[in-house]
Amino acid sequence: MAAIVLDKLSKTYKVKVREEGLKSALKSLVKPTYKEVEAVQSVSFTVEAGEMLAFIGPNGAGKSTTIKMLTGILHPTSGSANVLDYNPVKDRRKLSYQIGAVFGQKSQLSFHLPPVDSFRLLSNVYEIEKSEYEERLTQLAELLELGEFMNTPVRKLSLGQRVRCEFAASLLHAPKILFLDEPTIGLDVVVKHSIRELITKLNREENATVFLTSHDAGDVENLCRRAIVIDHGKVALDMSVKKMKYDYLNKKVISLKLKDTAAIPEMDGVTPIKVTPYAAKFSVDTKIAAIGRVLAALDSENIEDITIEEPPMEEIIASIYKGNRKGGEKT
Amino acid sequence: MRKYMSIAGISIKNALAYRANVTGRVIFYFVFIFIFFSLWSAIYKGNEIAGYNLTQMVWYICMTELVVFCSGSSIFGSMNHEVKSGSIAYQLIRPWNYIFKKFAETLGNITFSASIFTLMAIILGMLFVGPIKNFDPIAIPFIIVSFILSISMNFFILMSLGLLAFYFEENSPFYFIYSKLLFVFGMLLPIEFLPLWAQGILRFLPFSLITWAPAKMVVNFSFEHALAVLPLQAVWCVAAVILALFVFSRGIRKVNVHGG
Repeated sequence: MAAIVLDKLSKTYKVKVREEGLKSALKSLVKPTYKEVEAVQSVSFTVEAGEMLAFIGPNGAGKSTTIKMLTGILHPTSGSANVLDYNPVKDRRKLSYQIGAVFGQKSQLSFHLPPVDSFRLLSNVYEIEKSEYEERLTQLAELLELGEFMNTPVRKLSLGQRVRCEFAASLLHAPKILFLDEPTIGLDVVVKHSIRELITKLNREENATVFLTSHDAGDVENLCRRAIVIDHGKVALDMSVKKMKYDYLNKKVISLKLKDTAAIPEMDGVTPIKVTPYAAKFSVDTKIAAIGRVLAALDSENIEDITIEEPPMEEIIASIYKGNRKGGEKT
Repeated sequence: MRKYMSIAGISIKNALAYRANVTGRVIFYFVFIFIFFSLWSAIYKGNEIAGYNLTQMVWYICMTELVVFCSGSSIFGSMNHEVKSGSIAYQLIRPWNYIFKKFAETLGNITFSASIFTLMAIILGMLFVGPIKNFDPIAIPFIIVSFILSISMNFFILMSLGLLAFYFEENSPFYFIYSKLLFVFGMLLPIEFLPLWAQGILRFLPFSLITWAPAKMVVNFSFEHALAVLPLQAVWCVAAVILALFVFSRGIRKVNVHGG
């Protein structure tokens, strides 16, 4: 069953253009000129229920605009969106009972009050029964490791504590779809990790559909099976994360521990990264040099240990963005 | 309804977090009343002007200021800011009606200010001119209803003006004009000071219904006055709510949220 369906969804902003100088300032008073910015252009795709989708792209690509159209915040200029069989704009309030959202850069908690107060408030806003709410809160508190700090005013919380509370606030009503807009931004490794665990758990245990945007390659790699790359408001790529890694960057990094001085096979497609007397690291472009051939060319007697790594997700994403910037259509 | 009650409950807690803010306004209120007390004492020579004696005039200004100090003029600024920064959009993700949510949210502040400034008004009135003669306690329920209507009306009008930020990059002139209209049409002077033809018009306009209507009820209560103004206040109050809902529902389609 499809949870989210986008059909040629587009959003165009009108931005007032201001030129320098008094003359043009006066002119814009009488007849303002507008520039149209196409933030999202005819985006179509489907997200299945229970899927975890990474929706990635560089800054200003149209990610947040798309999320805002899917949650009913923004009105699309053309095209349509269907979320859980609702039209987000028309049935915004009905839909809001079914979805949750965490915006990493935007707190939804009351700044001066302890999170517990916000939770109680939200339980009333979502019309959750008191007993049900208490049960849910205990469950979330355990899952998110919310401790005593639930009773401390938000302004005194650390970012990690606050973000965990933000998640709790968005999950109280057990949403079927979770929109996460850069949820791990600014978090340390440990908190990032626990947030990722939580998301995986939610997906597994409650079959929640997760729609994630992030600049953190680790989020994408660890959470999602499928990734959609959006750039300049258009879908640039829509494939499984595995395939993306496999296809997109035909690079492997080989590290060797050696008994003797290093010997890197000299062939096209092999680039040394770091060579010391007893260790060597080099990258292999598998399009040019098949990995088997490279391994065969190594002096097996000399090798103590070998590691073959895939390049980090970050590099893959960077190369997709770059490739797209050049304006080339990707296959 | 329960959700809005809950929001109001939270906002009372929040209001208490801003105690420092209140001290400044209390001083300001005192200065204001003191200046008008001095002004009216200089003008009055033991007589009556347009049916008001000195005691009534001072109580009158205490009351009109009370309305303005309670309505939380910050609502204009807060709407303005939420629209311009785009943060209003994030409020839409919850199952509530934004306009009523915002009202409930401000209700805490209003209740808090109302209790403080009512007390201030009574203390200062007593201090400067003493009790109003012939004040009949039967007026109290009418006065309360009238104040509730006028504070709410003022709130929703200010909110609508703030929401005009959807359409205008610079909407503070509207606020400026509106507050000046409030000031001259009822806050500074009872409308009885104005020519008859002007009174005839002003009686039906929100400006004097917000200030003059409840203040006159305090200083010179009559059933005739109460029955004349209360229905008008109610009608304008509903109209202001509808206006706010309308401006919001039209405006929200234009909202642009930048970034990301």
